[in-house]
Amino acid sequence: MIVQRAIEEAGIPTIIIAALPPVVRQNGSPRCTAPLVPMGANVGEPNNPEMQRNILRDTLIQLVEIDTPGKIVPLPYEYTAKI
Amino acid sequence: MDMTVIKGLQSEIYVPVTPKPVWTPVTKPLNEMVIALATAAGVHLKSDKRFNLAGDTSYRIIPGDVDSHDLMVSHGGYDNSDVNKDINCMFPIDRLRELAEEGFIKGIAPKHIGFMGGGGDVSAFREKTGPEIAKILKEEGVDGVVMTGG
Repeated sequence: MIVQRAIEEAGIPTIIIAALPPVVRQNGSPRCTAPLVPMGANVGEPNNPEMQRNILRDTLIQLVEIDTPGKIVPLPYEYTAKI
Repeated sequence: MDMTVIKGLQSEIYVPVTPKPVWTPVTKPLNEMVIALATAAGVHLKSDKRFNLAGDTSYRIIPGDVDSHDLMVSHGGYDNSDVNKDINCMFPIDRLRELAEEGFIKGIAPKHIGFMGGGGDVSAFREKTGPEIAKILKEEGVDGVVMTGG
């Protein structure tokens, strides 16, 4: 989120796909999407291109749609890692 | 009546401070935007120097035409097992390419960035690494950046 802020400050719009939205909120990220995923699989299940593509597509849509700094949009995709 | 007994008294309990908002508005529709990826997940080329797992504020450049099988992760702060199976879990370069091919976005950037986030020398990330990464992305003229981390 520190690097995200630096990129945003340089004049490029950014969005982060996060597994830990409270951390994102605390660190002042300008835009965020939060699918229901564990750390390490933020873009979704491994070898599930459809889920990954949907998470990335919805995140790009939110890059344009989010109109308030700090907004976190939950995404309706779920993956639970089998540990 | 003055309710303050001692002026300027502060709690000894540390409370986190959320930084001020930063904001750059989007000015184009998605199908006119060139997008770059930047990840805190420790992604880099297999041929590149690994990150120091104990703390590393350097970054690696990942070419946009990379074969995703030539990428790997070195990061000491999360379970790497999913990303070792499929790098797109944290660095969705193949998915971004597919979205460009279908015309959802205009294109993908020539350079993308991997670094090892999740703590370490926060002031170095804020004052040096972050601005350096921002400069690379600014120079290649991307219209938006999708990040993963946190």
